[in-house]
Amino acid sequence: MKGISRKLFSILSIIMLLLLAACGGNNTGSETNTNEGSSNKDGVVSAKFGVIAYLTGAGAAYGEAITNGLKLAQKDINALGEVNIELVIEDSAGKADQALNASQKIMSDDSITAIIGPTLSTEIFAVAPEADLNGIPIMGTSTTVDGIPEIGDYVFRNAVPESLAIPAAIEKAVERTGAKKVALIYGNDDALTKGGFDVMERTVKEMGLEITTIETYQDGQSDYNAQLTKIKNTNPDLILASALYNEGAVIMDQARKMGIDIPFVGGNGFNSPQAIEIAGDAANGLIVATPYFGESTDPKIVKFNEDYEAEFGKKPDQFAAQAYDGLFIYADALKRAGSADREAFREALAETKDLEGILGKFSFDEVGDVIMNVTVLEIKDGKFIEFE
Amino acid sequence: MLGEILNTYYLQIGSFILINIMLAISVYVPLSSGQLSLGSAGFMGVGAYTSALLTIHFDLPIVIGIIAGALAASILGVIVGIPSLRLSGVYLAIATLGLGEVIRVIFVNWDTLTKGSVGLTGIPQLGREILEFARGLGFEPAMIGIKNNQFVFLSIFIVLLTLVIVILWFVVRQQNSRVGRALSSINQDDKAAESMGINITYYKVISFTQGAFFAGLAGALFAHVIGYISPADFSYHRAVEVLIFTVFGGSEVIIGSVFGAFFLTLMPEVLRFVSEFRYIIYGILLIVLMAVRPQGILDANLLKKIKIKRSKGGVR
Repeated sequence: MKGISRKLFSILSIIMLLLLAACGGNNTGSETNTNEGSSNKDGVVSAKFGVIAYLTGAGAAYGEAITNGLKLAQKDINALGEVNIELVIEDSAGKADQALNASQKIMSDDSITAIIGPTLSTEIFAVAPEADLNGIPIMGTSTTVDGIPEIGDYVFRNAVPESLAIPAAIEKAVERTGAKKVALIYGNDDALTKGGFDVMERTVKEMGLEITTIETYQDGQSDYNAQLTKIKNTNPDLILASALYNEGAVIMDQARKMGIDIPFVGGNGFNSPQAIEIAGDAANGLIVATPYFGESTDPKIVKFNEDYEAEFGKKPDQFAAQAYDGLFIYADALKRAGSADREAFREALAETKDLEGILGKFSFDEVGDVIMNVTVLEIKDGKFIEFE
Repeated sequence: MLGEILNTYYLQIGSFILINIMLAISVYVPLSSGQLSLGSAGFMGVGAYTSALLTIHFDLPIVIGIIAGALAASILGVIVGIPSLRLSGVYLAIATLGLGEVIRVIFVNWDTLTKGSVGLTGIPQLGREILEFARGLGFEPAMIGIKNNQFVFLSIFIVLLTLVIVILWFVVRQQNSRVGRALSSINQDDKAAESMGINITYYKVISFTQGAFFAGLAGALFAHVIGYISPADFSYHRAVEVLIFTVFGGSEVIIGSVFGAFFLTLMPEVLRFVSEFRYIIYGILLIVLMAVRPQGILDANLLKKIKIKRSKGGVR
């Protein structure tokens, strides 16, 4: 009996595997077949854009916000009727090799005009050179580390880089507090926080401030007392923390408990309403620079927040807003290019200038990096307000 | 005609499958002498960083970089192998896992050389170098009717395929030799093996080092295929992933590792059509298979049965 059931099981499992493999094979096949390119329909330019996002795994929330922002933008753009956009969304699982696979899948489909994504800077470093070589425009909406648009002519971004956000925040903070001595703390095993730290260090040196100490922590650490004690002993006027909001909020909480009540300046990763939720009152005194200010009374932002909440049942964040604007940048370039041709599209995209988005006026500089104004925010009385 | 068949997406997946097969073998070889090594991610990282840094900073040819990477990993394998082979079973697994993490932390903190967690960009890409080389010999991909891009991926695929075949041939030959018999006797019972006059330290170090070599080789190739590496690529997630390849496919026979790597690399790509659910299905699949076949999909018994059936068919 036992022998038979075992045999059955093994046969069953093999059949299951084969079936799954076959299903998948067929499906991908038919998908590519239906993806016939259509460049002109009723005089409206239509195009397909490939999206690579971090949809499964630890950072899936980022990918979800981005794809939601894109879907909302797609709806709004297609409703305007000037261009017609279709999105082909692929998951990268936050891994460089998976992102590369997804990008190859998109690139080998000739009907796709350009790529949006991937989500992480470590992914775009692997994907962008390949896209550049294949001559397909690629734009990151959440990749903030230095040196990304410099990869090639076809590589763009609309994510506000750390090199724009952090100096703005530091300058404002120093202006008001008159700080001369700063302490730095950052997570050294994450590309985003490490990239942010590099910018902080550079800015501080350029501004001629004195660095009292540089402390590091590792991903997933929960006790920062050792680092904070050191920082406290050096007696700085300002703490620059390049941390993700979940770690940063804990750092602030422990710092306040220790009696450190000087302001903190954070990078892109620190800018989240979640920081207030985690740290509570301890989050007061955090200064960040961001293109997106959720509490803003700007009618465009208010409308975006309402639409997003109605569609997806939760509040948007910076990533959703940047993705939303990103697709509008693509739509505008598509309209000016007049065709879904990759080359024409790239030229039009590079010429993007003073485009009015929900986050303000947007232009690309000569390498494809962001020119726009950022707002400096601070947390006061448990709320983000504009920094004055 | 060739140009229409070759799809760069499939070739890319094929390349990753081949690299993962190498990694799976790097776990299989020490395992065949009873040593569970979880250091494959660390050795892979050493291979990748050695080769990437040599080719970026000294403009060395990729071939030399890859060989140097594999050798660096195997030297580390010897250095770590000798003391840690006093450990066995779970203890060795933990020690090697620790080694992998130490290596990763070194990559994160050795800022001036490795650029920390931001990673190394601009690593020379294997396929493009082959293309340049072929052009130097007066060969153009257009001559056989394929695009440059396709040629790049095809050449990577062929190089990797050749290497995997060579490695497989080597491991299979070794298994059927004196060394292989010694290793499998150590696997069964190392005390008995020692009393039969087998130098177990020597053979254990050999198999451990071979594992490190294959992992280093795979790492170096990974760096030159993907063109960008960061310490996150070599975290313990990778070590566990590689271990799953071997255990899932069947750790008793080498074909199990090959099958495991092939299947589990292909799976997430095949499941792309269910987007968010693909890793859920992947996970369920692992649980079901481990519950039903704890020894892995392919094992010696199953292979024997297939063989018997075949020979019966032959007689009829």
